[in-house]
Amino acid sequence: MAANLFYFLIFPGLLFAGITGAFLSWFDRKITARVQFRKGPPLLQPFYDFFKLLLVKETILPKKGSPVLFLLAPVFSVFGATMAGVFILLPLFNIASGFRGDLIVIFYLLTIPSFSYIMGALASGNPLAAVGGSREMKLILSYELTFLLVIAGIIMKAGQQFDLYSIIGTQQQGGAFIGSISGILLFIAALFCIQAKLALVPFDMPEAEAEITEGIYIEYSGAAYAMIKLAKHIMLFILPAFLAALLLGGFRTEGINILWSILKIVGTVLLLTLLRNTNPRIKIRQAMSFFLIWMNLIAIAAIVLIVFGY
Amino acid sequence: MNDIVLTIFLPLLAGILLFFIPERLKTVKGILALLSAIAAGFFAVSLSRADIVAGTPGALSGGGGFSILGIDILGDLARYTVFNPDSLASLIVLFISLFTILILLYSLVYIKGKKANNYYAWVLLTAGCSYGAALSDNLILFITFWGILGITLYKLIPGSSEESSAAAKKTLILIGASDSIMVIGIGIIWKMTGSLSISGTSLNTDNILAITAFLAMLTGSFTKAGAFPFHTWVPDFTKAAPATSSALLPASLDKLLGIYFLAKITSGLFKMNSWLTLILLMAGSVTIIIAVMMALVQHNYKKLLGFHAVSQVGYMILGFGLGTPLGIAAGLFHMVNNAVYKSGLFLSAGNVEYRTGKEEIDDLGGLSKAMPVTFISTLVFAMSISGVPPFNGFASKWMIYQGIIDFGGGSSIACKLWAVWLGAAVLGSALTLASFIKLTGGIFLGRRYKGLENVREVPVLMWIPVVLLAIICIVFGTLATKVIVPGLFMKVTGNFSFSGFWDSSFVSLLVFVSIVTGIIIYLLTGIRKFRSEDSFIGGEVIQDETGYPTPEFYKTFGEMGFFSWMYRKAGEKWFDLYEMSKRFVLWLSHQVSEAHAGVLPGYVIWVFAGLIVMLLIMI
Repeated sequence: MAANLFYFLIFPGLLFAGITGAFLSWFDRKITARVQFRKGPPLLQPFYDFFKLLLVKETILPKKGSPVLFLLAPVFSVFGATMAGVFILLPLFNIASGFRGDLIVIFYLLTIPSFSYIMGALASGNPLAAVGGSREMKLILSYELTFLLVIAGIIMKAGQQFDLYSIIGTQQQGGAFIGSISGILLFIAALFCIQAKLALVPFDMPEAEAEITEGIYIEYSGAAYAMIKLAKHIMLFILPAFLAALLLGGFRTEGINILWSILKIVGTVLLLTLLRNTNPRIKIRQAMSFFLIWMNLIAIAAIVLIVFGY
Repeated sequence: MNDIVLTIFLPLLAGILLFFIPERLKTVKGILALLSAIAAGFFAVSLSRADIVAGTPGALSGGGGFSILGIDILGDLARYTVFNPDSLASLIVLFISLFTILILLYSLVYIKGKKANNYYAWVLLTAGCSYGAALSDNLILFITFWGILGITLYKLIPGSSEESSAAAKKTLILIGASDSIMVIGIGIIWKMTGSLSISGTSLNTDNILAITAFLAMLTGSFTKAGAFPFHTWVPDFTKAAPATSSALLPASLDKLLGIYFLAKITSGLFKMNSWLTLILLMAGSVTIIIAVMMALVQHNYKKLLGFHAVSQVGYMILGFGLGTPLGIAAGLFHMVNNAVYKSGLFLSAGNVEYRTGKEEIDDLGGLSKAMPVTFISTLVFAMSISGVPPFNGFASKWMIYQGIIDFGGGSSIACKLWAVWLGAAVLGSALTLASFIKLTGGIFLGRRYKGLENVREVPVLMWIPVVLLAIICIVFGTLATKVIVPGLFMKVTGNFSFSGFWDSSFVSLLVFVSIVTGIIIYLLTGIRKFRSEDSFIGGEVIQDETGYPTPEFYKTFGEMGFFSWMYRKAGEKWFDLYEMSKRFVLWLSHQVSEAHAGVLPGYVIWVFAGLIVMLLIMI
């Protein structure tokens, strides 16, 4: 029990995932700055931002809304992200523990942050937040099926196993799943799902700074917003890590392999960042048909290829 | 034996007696009904505590023994009155009594101002017949109780307005028709085996007659539980009926019984072949998606809940379609969970309706401060039904999903399509989340509408049952894998092991830890000093009309190619079996009436034509 609490709060849970995620968000901002011919922030900028929000800035509550739910929603989002993170990272670091969750559990836990943002947005009573919430939910509905099909494809590749330990084990013995046509297709579909899950451009319509002024987060400030930042940092780390576990063969922690493992995460984040910097924001309807038609077709094609052994 | 008879006939007799108490004494009738339901519940509990070995049929009891003053009153009838209190039946009976008691308690206040004649009497008859249907082992006895339930359902809707009497008629016709189809199925079973015993029959589905019987029985079970394509009475019923009637029948008892019977026919009465499995899985998937898509665009919250009452059945059918112990246990667990949160949702809807008198989400908003208890309970139910971990709905869905994944290892065509079933189930779950965000967001969150300033929390007798159901949701969720499933459902299906990993109790503890940590952070950062400000919308002054109500959220779907076609056709009632058969019958009678031109030579020609045909046949 104490060990499990340690997993949740310190490593590989809240503290570790939060710090790593903050560095990754620095990386994301730095790359963005380079793409835009700017200098970019210093390494510790995400930490300055976080602690300023948490300790210095005042928290403003919505007058005509439900303050309790408004304040609890960020807490739930951090919980969901951390819990999913623990279940993803324990197998990745190959820590044997009775405390584990299978792919379905991870899949559901990964939805909790988005769900909490929507509830928090609605609780604020702001019409622009409601627009953001509606878009976030429609986005979830669009990518959820694709994401599930990707996971189904991986379960098929792993021989009907849906435990992350055995999926990583299968890959480390027989080669990473991405080394096949179906694996590449699954990687593409999964990458776009992650882009949408992180609400990065071109799928940032729930936040859409320029049109609905951060949408779902418009009313958040101070400590509550700090927690949202934290949850977003954690998600920025664990979603690429999840991808690494599902398709890229997981981590190895001996010798030079550590560098290779880090590269998997950083490379995925780099892809996400480049995607977001080279694309305009699309409309929610375009995003829906993008996932519901094209991405689902890719995922189904991958599954059909898996059935035929490619 | 005694316990069984008392469980069934105590509420029945009390119900009949209540007809003779004048309607003026409604509260007295309510209290009497509650007392007799509690008494019946007491016997039901003692039934379920009897030792029954897992997986075996319970000791059959019945066949005479009802003697009054030394006279055997049943005589020859005794062979029909056989009861089978096996582990599944006693589980069902336990939950029937739980829901009856909670809903009667709630009704004491709720139904007082409503126009519902003999409401309590019909509720008790419903309870008694449900006990009877769950416990009987003889198909004739079973269909008798089952058939009466159709009538009580009809009587629990007040036919006061045109809409509600149309809904009542539709319900009666659909349920009645399915019951008569079941009678055909029973006839075939009797013809084939010469037996009417549920526990003693096990038919192979390898010939057309047995398959017909199976499909006939399936129709009955699907209609009662409300699965596609026989589901159309449910949303209409829930829209027109009082919230308590909806909570009692379509939300809980009908589900318990319909799914109970589905369990009996899929894993007892018939041996399923792989094609029937495929049909079941397809029916389950279609039910989930179609119903939840309809729920997504509803504006009336009671009708929205009705569509979800249909959609959730799909998960249970998936569980039973798998046919593995894990799948069956998952189906049963989901059945119980669904009954808990769905009746809770209907009762919460009743709370809102009781205080505001409004039934459209568009007219409501911002009630979370006015009705905190109802709000928190609704939030718990909404998270449960959408499968948010660690609530109970997630636990049972998780079991169904892993059942599907395990099933995918098989070789039949239904196994090969496992990703389809899994996709439908997960997508259905996401759509459920979407429509419950609309419901809770629209009613409780956001800005309070004009005219709702004086809304208060409901009286204590109304919120106690709701809170109890919410607590059951949380407890079933947190203790799912360690206590509830092994304790309640492995008794029925035999032991099995999970193939996935989910530590419900420890994760729930972590949720608690997170909330406490969150509160500490807010306290440390000075929650008392937090300032309240009105919403910021780009510096504009917020007007009453400013807003983006939640029912508008998913309009984008209705505008997309395929979905817009589907919603249009659904609006024209193309997917409504009742409307379609009504149209067909009207068309047929129109064709016949065309022949009645009223012209004498025309009739003479018909007569001669008929005569010639007859002569030709006779030659």
